[in-house]
Amino acid sequence: MAPINAVAVAIFIFFALLIFGVYAFFISSTRKPAVGEDYYKSVAKLRAPFFVILLLLLIAGLVLTLPKIPYPSKGKFPDAVVYVAGKQFNFALDTQPIESEERWKERAEAEPVQVPAGKWIEFRVTSLDVNHGFSLYDENGKLLGQTQAMPGYVNRLFIKFDKPGFYTAYCMELCGNSHHAMKGVIEVVEEGTFGAKILNQQ
Amino acid sequence: MAEIAIKAEAVEIEAKVKKLTLVWTGLTFILFPILGLLGFLMRLVQGNVFPMFPPEWFYSILTLHGVGMVGLWFVEGMIAVIYLLSKYVKPSAGVSWFSFTFTLIGVALIIISTIAGKFGAGWYFLYPLPYKSAEIWPNWATDLYLIGLGVLGIAWTVWVIDVLRAIAKKYTLNQALAWHYLAGKTEPELPPIILIVTVTCIGAITGFLAAVALLLLFLFDRVSGTPADPLLMKNLVFYFGHVLVNITMYLGVAILYETLPQYTQKPWKTNKLVAFAWNTVLFLVLFAYFHHLYMDFVQPKAFQIIGQFASYFISVPAAVVTIFSALAMIYKTKVNWTLGSSLIFLGTMGWAVGGVAAVIDSSIAVNFRFHNTLWVPAHFHTYFLMGVVLMILGFIYHFSQLHSNIPDNSKLAKFTVWLILIGGYGFLSMFYTGGALFVPRRYALYPPALSSGTTLAQISIVFVSILTIGFLLYLIQTIRRWARSF
Repeated sequence: MAPINAVAVAIFIFFALLIFGVYAFFISSTRKPAVGEDYYKSVAKLRAPFFVILLLLLIAGLVLTLPKIPYPSKGKFPDAVVYVAGKQFNFALDTQPIESEERWKERAEAEPVQVPAGKWIEFRVTSLDVNHGFSLYDENGKLLGQTQAMPGYVNRLFIKFDKPGFYTAYCMELCGNSHHAMKGVIEVVEEGTFGAKILNQQ
Repeated sequence: MAEIAIKAEAVEIEAKVKKLTLVWTGLTFILFPILGLLGFLMRLVQGNVFPMFPPEWFYSILTLHGVGMVGLWFVEGMIAVIYLLSKYVKPSAGVSWFSFTFTLIGVALIIISTIAGKFGAGWYFLYPLPYKSAEIWPNWATDLYLIGLGVLGIAWTVWVIDVLRAIAKKYTLNQALAWHYLAGKTEPELPPIILIVTVTCIGAITGFLAAVALLLLFLFDRVSGTPADPLLMKNLVFYFGHVLVNITMYLGVAILYETLPQYTQKPWKTNKLVAFAWNTVLFLVLFAYFHHLYMDFVQPKAFQIIGQFASYFISVPAAVVTIFSALAMIYKTKVNWTLGSSLIFLGTMGWAVGGVAAVIDSSIAVNFRFHNTLWVPAHFHTYFLMGVVLMILGFIYHFSQLHSNIPDNSKLAKFTVWLILIGGYGFLSMFYTGGALFVPRRYALYPPALSSGTTLAQISIVFVSILTIGFLLYLIQTIRRWARSF
């Protein structure tokens, strides 16, 4: 799991258990009600500290997560570009733009595109029909990142693959009755091997 | 004489509103089990219990379950609130009946569209999928679905406008929004339910306006063949959907503010803090929906960041004002715990837990990997199923018990609540685990590489069974009281 998502899950488990505990405590307090006393005001004194703590937690969340947003900045350039076109029910990938259904069909049935490991790859993602969600999963089912494939728009997704292997793009947006079967494949190879292959092709 | 006439009018209004509530609740007793069982069926299919189940049926059921549940709890929440509001203002019974009739027509159209027409584009019918189904469902199914939504939209817009009209007859807009409290005044005294319902109805109108624009653009495309902008359509549908789900939650909270004091014998009054909290909510709810479009990288970056800020800070008034006050209200207090009050109160716990998960997912950097995974149904089922649904079910019991005078069976009520809590949170834990493992949502079947989705669905069947028994026991206890209330 990506570190930020592992932290997110840990934070959630902590707070969910804390909330269960707080509710159990408050509900059990009603078993022995204090006759003639109003505890509302004494509990209400905690409101201001609770507000400050919550505010600080949220600000910390913003400060820690906003620098990690996945949108490419204007000055960011990739080491390689891969064009992605989604269409019911396959993703086609190529190093050249895919602008027609024929090209899409040809590329959807072709051997996977190869990209080097350890380099920034820019995926220029679009759709030829409806909305799809372009995601990249490694062989262990770990999700590296995603963006939407939308007709008429190109979303730019930057991914750096750490390890060579086959990575699968599953569809993350409901696109019809075979949505769950829609996919595309990309092969990540060692940087040295990648250069050698290009030379061989030339 | 005048006093007698006023009393007679009050009795007549009470009888009318009671009848309305009884009839709407009867509809809930029919739709809730059906829509719930459809959800159960989906988990069975995802668990590969029925390997031959056609995927197109799965997506039709997904659509019906989603739109049905959101619509059902909105209308039942509305009628609950109208019942509670009638103590202070007088919404028109005629408009509610109009809304009821049109709701039935809209629901019928959507059922025909999804079941007979196999419309399966999801509740949110993301443009342009509805008319590009790869020939799975015919265009008439989409037409019916959109007409059905249009009918519901008309009925519900008229309904919320009438509620606002009734409030406006007694309070000016700045009084109904408790602005005089912000200015340091306390007169006229404003029951919190009026403030919350005003915020809810204003929010609803903005959401319905977005839906009108969306449906008109669909119509224009259908008639003229001029395509709409998919990004604009996405913004419109998610604004509408997000607002509808949020305001339904607020209807549950309105129930909480009005009913919990009856079980604790402590008043829950509007003050400067409550006024500030709900006005903040009204402002932030307009911008939080941007988090649905985080993965549309072409959306202006400023909107995405505004979305994260709004989604983070909308949790503050909920936690610091409503949830905190509800907890403070019961602390060391004699509470009459019935099935109704327990469910209403525990609904706030689901709101809190689901809220934490929602805030986490509204961090763009986290959403990059959680978007459209099972983390999403996990968090919205937490604050919906274990939040507002429990509050509204609690209200239905509260209302039925009040009018039937059948005393609460505390042992059975306790057992029922435990079954709902264990089944509900167990069911949700499988969704959360699926999200943590990046299992995609809205999959009829999981490919071998994502087989953990199948295993988790199989485990969740155990919890959903427990939850179903819990809800069945709830229905038995409540329907008995409801039937005696006529």
